[in-house]
Amino acid sequence: MIGNRANWKVTILLILGALFILLPLYLTITIAFKTPREMTGNLLALPQSWSIQNFLDAIEMTNFFQALGNSAFVTILTVAVVILTHSLVAYAIARNLHKKFYKFLYFYFISAMFIPFPIIMLPLVKQTAMWGMDNLIGLVILNGVMQLAFNVFIYVGFVKTVPKELEEAAIIDGASTWQVFWKVIFPLMKPMHATVAILTALAAWNDFMLPLVILSDSNQYTLPLVQYAFQGQFSTDYNLAFASYLMAMLPMIIVYIFAQKWIIGGVMRGSIK
Amino acid sequence: MKFSKGLAAITLGTSLLLAGCGGDGGADGEVTLELFSNKSESVDTYKGLIAEFEEQNPDINIKLEAPPEAETVLKTRLTKNDLPDIMSIGGNATYGELAREGVFHDFSDDEVLTNVQSSYVDMLGQLVGPEHDGVYGLPYATNANHVIYNKEKVEELGIEIPTNWDEFVTALEAAKEAGEIPIYFTLQEAWTGMSVWNGVAGNLVADDFAERKNNGEASFVEEYDEVADKMLTLLDYGHSDNFGVGYGDGNNAFATGNGVFYIQGNWAIPEIVKANPDIELGTFALPSNDNAEENDLVSGVDVALAVSDSTDHKEEAMKFIEFMISQETAQTYIEEQKAFSGVEGVFQEDPVFEGIRVNFEEGRLTSFPDHYYPAGMGTENLVQDFLIEKNKDAALQTLDSEWDKVQNR
Amino acid sequence: MVKKKHAFLLMVIPAFVLFFTFHTYPALQGIFYSFTDYKGYGNWDFVGFKNYFNVFQDGRALSAYGFTFQFAIVATILVNIISVLIAIGLNSNIKLRKTLRATYFLPYILSVLIVGYIFKFMFTHLLPQIGQALNIEFLSTNILGNPDLAWLGIVLVAVWQSAAFNTLLYLAGLSTIDDQVYEAASIDGAKPWARFWKITFPLIAPFFTINMVVAMKNFLMAFDQIVALTGGGPGQATESISLLIYRGGFQGGEFAYQSANAVIYFIVIVAISIIQLRVLERREVK
Repeated sequence: MIGNRANWKVTILLILGALFILLPLYLTITIAFKTPREMTGNLLALPQSWSIQNFLDAIEMTNFFQALGNSAFVTILTVAVVILTHSLVAYAIARNLHKKFYKFLYFYFISAMFIPFPIIMLPLVKQTAMWGMDNLIGLVILNGVMQLAFNVFIYVGFVKTVPKELEEAAIIDGASTWQVFWKVIFPLMKPMHATVAILTALAAWNDFMLPLVILSDSNQYTLPLVQYAFQGQFSTDYNLAFASYLMAMLPMIIVYIFAQKWIIGGVMRGSIK
Repeated sequence: MKFSKGLAAITLGTSLLLAGCGGDGGADGEVTLELFSNKSESVDTYKGLIAEFEEQNPDINIKLEAPPEAETVLKTRLTKNDLPDIMSIGGNATYGELAREGVFHDFSDDEVLTNVQSSYVDMLGQLVGPEHDGVYGLPYATNANHVIYNKEKVEELGIEIPTNWDEFVTALEAAKEAGEIPIYFTLQEAWTGMSVWNGVAGNLVADDFAERKNNGEASFVEEYDEVADKMLTLLDYGHSDNFGVGYGDGNNAFATGNGVFYIQGNWAIPEIVKANPDIELGTFALPSNDNAEENDLVSGVDVALAVSDSTDHKEEAMKFIEFMISQETAQTYIEEQKAFSGVEGVFQEDPVFEGIRVNFEEGRLTSFPDHYYPAGMGTENLVQDFLIEKNKDAALQTLDSEWDKVQNR
Repeated sequence: MVKKKHAFLLMVIPAFVLFFTFHTYPALQGIFYSFTDYKGYGNWDFVGFKNYFNVFQDGRALSAYGFTFQFAIVATILVNIISVLIAIGLNSNIKLRKTLRATYFLPYILSVLIVGYIFKFMFTHLLPQIGQALNIEFLSTNILGNPDLAWLGIVLVAVWQSAAFNTLLYLAGLSTIDDQVYEAASIDGAKPWARFWKITFPLIAPFFTINMVVAMKNFLMAFDQIVALTGGGPGQATESISLLIYRGGFQGGEFAYQSANAVIYFIVIVAISIIQLRVLERREVK
């Protein structure tokens, strides 16, 4: 920025900080490969062998692939639902903000951003169970409702920047409002879709409290919930536990490694809007 | 448009996936029952028993659920009006509350009732209260809240098994002087403090405390003074990080030779032995009373079996209960779990329990004081807090006021 | 034109219905039950404001509020300070910028619960090992077992994880600043410190406002990390409001009572959000 010489002092400080970020992950990986006997020595040492036995045991014990499937199901479906519906809602609101009803709706929806989930938790749990929604589909619907506030907020912000002329041209060509949205606006929203998809996917994948209170059947447990449910059985077998934690985090880490630039870009874009 | 088509495909794909895995396989006449257990220690035992049962009854599947904070989960399920078919839960205040709500099947007219020990049936009945005269749970396993000791160390130190408070303190002192950790505490997990609390209070406080407390005729301040003092005395004989070690780590540590005494229930024994199969353990009742004759063993119903009154598959659930109550199954259970049976004619022969066998034979037993405290008052955290702050008067007053508050709600 | 109106209505009505059913309606139910003695099951009666009076006299609830606010305020401030520092560092002329940026953002993608379990292991086993080796008294025992220090452990985990997202937001803010502004300032001979307060900070102030409000709200909801690290202990030293509502509401059979607590909590949160926005926006204008 000022001068073109690399600032080594700052670089080194940042590298030290990064090591602090990576330390817990280093521990997780090494411990996941160790045997209980190796736990008595230096905890920071590398494992003596890279045996995958802990992972095989953890997969069997926690029924890992089922939980992975549940997490993937909830995450993918939530993202799909959120992108298709929230963008639509935001479009309708953004184009009618001068009308009282839509203005009310806008503030009504985004006010939910200030309402912590625990406030509605107790009645919601009762209600969803009564209506047979204490399952993965129920979870997707609730995710959609809980994320609505933030997503409408950023989609509306985006639609406001889209010039109306584009739509008017389509309308003259005889397109209906629905067609205008799907053919003109929805594709234009692509950068916002990316942001919404990333934030929604992370929230749904890592969520713990909502699945904890909503799901009843342990066959439907998502990955974080499985880690919680097996605490008692992991007991002090930290090697097994950490293998399980690592596997639960791995899908997101892999996605992150490959799509890192895109994810960071998406989140930053969301924040400037 | 490509983008949205892709999304549509994903949506479709996932909904197909859902259709594929939905339903609980009831199509071919099979029944799936949910067995809810509050003990993570017994998961392996239950898995073995379930496999055996399913082999005998190919059209019944049993699904075991043993979540952490099981009582919270069970109450959540009650709030959802979605109780599990079969429940294997502790005989404590939560059991009493659920039974009073009338959500459990009444075993009064069932034949299985004749196979379990009536004294423990009465103990469960007391938790429910006198206004309800049904039998809502079968005492399956009973427990012992005792002091576990490391035999090798006790012999090395030349310690005699104490029978009253003074002897116990002398033994602790001897261990301390020898450079050993006298008692290994695991107070990071609040509930482990209750093993100590119940052991001490069981022999010092009158059995009808809870009843009188509810009527406003008794208080912690008046009757738990000695209990609190003795708790603090025991705490002096702990290790350097009493509140930094949890139950699992504590079992490991004790198994590997840390600590001479370990104040825990019989449920900890299999866990300790798992960590070190070579360890030799012994047990005795916590002698909190100065008078040896007054020192009984604190014992309660560790596992009560209950069946949801509203289950669609009561017949199948009862089949499982009958299987559990059979002599063979009950024997397997107590051998693996190092527990005592609620079933008539099934005895625990493990030499670990040499020291407390006499209590069972002579009926020198007393119940867990805290099973009669209201469930919502969070006693374990209050006790943990007391042990950290060591402020006796404030702690006892808090216990009193929290009790009143919960009663008042 | 009428058709168009209908189309817009059709677009929002389903969302409105769903949102009302699964957000507003439970909230209204909660308010309703807060005036009863409902346990979550069985019968109930109206009890007026009794639950509300009881919350104010409830030591456990008050200590949960105390802990939650102490935690949220300290964590919010720390996260924002650290995030600004990292963001400025990442925005300066450094080597390995992309790799470092990716590393600092990594914690954001991980599950709070699992991160909590990993840190719990570190507090229980690794730190005491190091503390004993180096003879540092307060590190040689598990800090999560000490009621005076346990909350700091939770703060540490919160900062480790949340700094990621806030750093990114500040980076986004910094990237909007034109380099020429700095160049002009350096010609004027402004010292780095003055440069930060006079130029950088005012320009990223809007981001600061949003970050403070969002971070504060998230920390006030703290649940996952507390379940993983301390379960609310030792004693009730780290029981957050969310955890209290969950535990008391279900296990304790205090459905109605905790509903009253939730209503109070809601009022408190709204008040704080409004105050924060007002105060911070005024500073921005200045």
